[in-house]
Amino acid sequence: MIKVHDLNAYYDDFHVLKNVSLNVGKGEVVVMLGPNGHGKSTVLKSICGLVEKVTGNIIYDGENITGLGSEKLVNKGITYIAENRELFPEMTVLENLKLGAYSQSARPHERENLEKVFTLFPRLADRQKQLASTMSGGEARMLAIARGLMSNADFLAIDEPSLGLQPNLRDEVARIIKEINTQGITVLVVEQNIPQITELADKIYVLEEGMISFQGSKEEALGNDHLKEIFLGM
Amino acid sequence: MENKRITIFLAVIWGVVAILPVFFGSTNFIMHILIMCLIWSVVASCWDLIMGFAGIFSFGQVAFFVIGAYSSAIISARFGVPPIFSVFIAGIITAGIGILVGLPCLKLKGAYIALVTFAVHMILEPVLKGDIGRALGTGGSRGILTIVPMNIFGYTFTSSDPIPYFYLLFLVAVICSVIILMVIKSHWGTAFLALKDAEDFASCLGVSAFKYKLMVFALTSFLTGMIGGFYAHYVGMLSTRMLGIDLFVTLMVILVIGGVGKFPGAIIGAFITIALNEMLSPLGSYRPIILGAMVVILVLVLPDGVTGLFEKIFSTKKRGLTH
Amino acid sequence: MFIEIIDVIISGLINGSVYALMAVGLTLIYGVSKAFNFAYGSFYSLGGYIAFLLFSIPFFNNYFVVLCLAAPVLLIFGFFIEKLLVAPLRKRDDWEVKVMMITLGLALFLDNSYQVVFGARMKSLPSMLEGNFEMGEFILSYQDVMIFIFSIGGILLFRWFLNNTRTGMSVRAVAQNPAGAQIVGIPKDFVFAATFAISTVMVGMGGILLAQKYFITPAGGWDILVKAWVITAFGGMGSIKGGLYAAFIVGMLEAFVGWYFGMTWTLIALFAVLLTTLAVRPQGLMGKWG
Repeated sequence: MIKVHDLNAYYDDFHVLKNVSLNVGKGEVVVMLGPNGHGKSTVLKSICGLVEKVTGNIIYDGENITGLGSEKLVNKGITYIAENRELFPEMTVLENLKLGAYSQSARPHERENLEKVFTLFPRLADRQKQLASTMSGGEARMLAIARGLMSNADFLAIDEPSLGLQPNLRDEVARIIKEINTQGITVLVVEQNIPQITELADKIYVLEEGMISFQGSKEEALGNDHLKEIFLGM
Repeated sequence: MENKRITIFLAVIWGVVAILPVFFGSTNFIMHILIMCLIWSVVASCWDLIMGFAGIFSFGQVAFFVIGAYSSAIISARFGVPPIFSVFIAGIITAGIGILVGLPCLKLKGAYIALVTFAVHMILEPVLKGDIGRALGTGGSRGILTIVPMNIFGYTFTSSDPIPYFYLLFLVAVICSVIILMVIKSHWGTAFLALKDAEDFASCLGVSAFKYKLMVFALTSFLTGMIGGFYAHYVGMLSTRMLGIDLFVTLMVILVIGGVGKFPGAIIGAFITIALNEMLSPLGSYRPIILGAMVVILVLVLPDGVTGLFEKIFSTKKRGLTH
Repeated sequence: MFIEIIDVIISGLINGSVYALMAVGLTLIYGVSKAFNFAYGSFYSLGGYIAFLLFSIPFFNNYFVVLCLAAPVLLIFGFFIEKLLVAPLRKRDDWEVKVMMITLGLALFLDNSYQVVFGARMKSLPSMLEGNFEMGEFILSYQDVMIFIFSIGGILLFRWFLNNTRTGMSVRAVAQNPAGAQIVGIPKDFVFAATFAISTVMVGMGGILLAQKYFITPAGGWDILVKAWVITAFGGMGSIKGGLYAAFIVGMLEAFVGWYFGMTWTLIALFAVLLTTLAVRPQGLMGKWG
């Protein structure tokens, strides 16, 4: 579904990503691991049109989407879910969700997606009128994912969904990702090594110093000594 | 521009200015304009220092200039202090007021600082014109009509012979610019850069934002107030008309043309702007329209002003340091 | 004496309502795009001059038509100014200073163009509604009533827009979290331009409304800019609620200080209140940091 070829990304003069190439097949769950600060978020953001200086090729369903902005990409079904959540603090849960369906392609499906989201996240349904700024870390994380789903996306790029969550909530996150994937959404997740999530992976990539240092299946990853260092190092 | 380059640039500018009287010395009118250029170059450089370099949106520059001018005029008249000393006293008074204004600004951000400092400007007019002002000797709405002319060790400068005046103010302007240059080069300079980019982080590192901000207020108001004093003794009369929007706008145009935060752009900017102003004056009421349009176009096309242009032409590296 | 006080209160309310309209416009731009429009006062005068032009054409000789024509003109003007002058600066460093400078240049250009085109003398607009409401010694002009109604109406219309339209929600979203807005697919650049356009309409309308009572002069916008600025800072830059409260407080304060001490003291009193507030709450009444 998404083919990334020789992606280079820059923040001003800082060369963050160096010739990154990866493939995410339709319907897959792909997990990207790697040390902090080495560019994992930038990979996701580049695909989702949130990075200004980008060279290379990003192909989505055969269409070259390199350099297109997020407004266009959300409309095509590609949505980013930030590790910082980036919710709208003075709006209610419901308003945040509705804004998730802002794009032209998402608007006609707003009602049905709202129902889907409330089924998936019953706690959010209870707190519809609550202000986003008053939510706990876990609830906010759920809201961010829910809002991403409202965009009617076919491809979700999720950035460290388990960050700062207690272990039982991590199970919850993994369960949700699996459920989303079962419903047909392709997922590219960036994470620390969280077993519940890497368990779901069809493919694993490792990003170090802005370059792909490993790609393969779960089994291959477990058998790799270098990766064990990274896993332990986290 | 790297520090060495700035020094060379500065030396070149002053070198050129120093010999201007050779060409224009016989025309009093032009000499007068050049003297005003020198005065405004100091005010503009101070504004550039506090706004472009230290990143503090202070809009009180004109107010401090006026305060300095009035102070020196009144002190020399009322207390018989020789003008050469009263300008320094005026500078100190202005610095004191600058610190008073700076204090509340320490906790404020951006547009709020602009507002508070602009408030000083706005309040100054009614204060000078009103009862308090008259009690102090400002002459109310009429202003001050006679001011002791500048006098050093018995030699009286008169505006009918502008060349000595020119060189006196030249000396003052050069000294002021050297002071500003030393500030930029010093550890103050590094501190300001750090504060401007990431204040909270810099504070963690022990950079005392308060201390540096107050010092900038003090220094820029001192220099501006002092040069205001020189202005008063040169021009011989003062009125609150100086507080109108025209002067403020002129200073801003100087910064735009010279380049904000690009010392010594303000100096070049002053000369170009005043010259431009004069050249355009036959156009009467069309002049400000053209100036306004020029500012708009310049900000878009030449965001770093003339200095930015020089940087591009003379830079060997692709990216030099801005200060 | 009692009647006088009522007069003062009413004057404060009416001025406050117009101030509210204009302060909200300024705080909106700042809240959404962190830009400061130095030409805001010139836009105020622009509204007045557009209305003046329209009134001189016999066909457009009534307020309803004038307002309906002026609003879209101001909207489009504001939109294009943002796109041409402000948007290109956003990527530069020190862009806030540059925006101030470019809008200052624009103000210079506009104010003096008014002078050249319309002359330096004051212009005025006819009253919306002639006549007064009289009850004993108490006189209230219909003109003032109309001003009040239209200002409040404008604010309510704006509130409806913010809460009930998609563009309105996107404006709130960008103001609260620009990164989030981008993630959700809101076109930030369009929102910046739209807010600028809306604020231009608001202040231009203020200009039209007040022109019937005070006059239109080429440099008249500066007082308005300073006032709107003070009110916005007092209420908290970026806070619409804050701006509203502040506007009415300032309107009342101005009326009372002007009545009791004289008009020359109003500005000083305003700044005194502002400074004390900022000393205690550096972000204004209801402002937030960031």
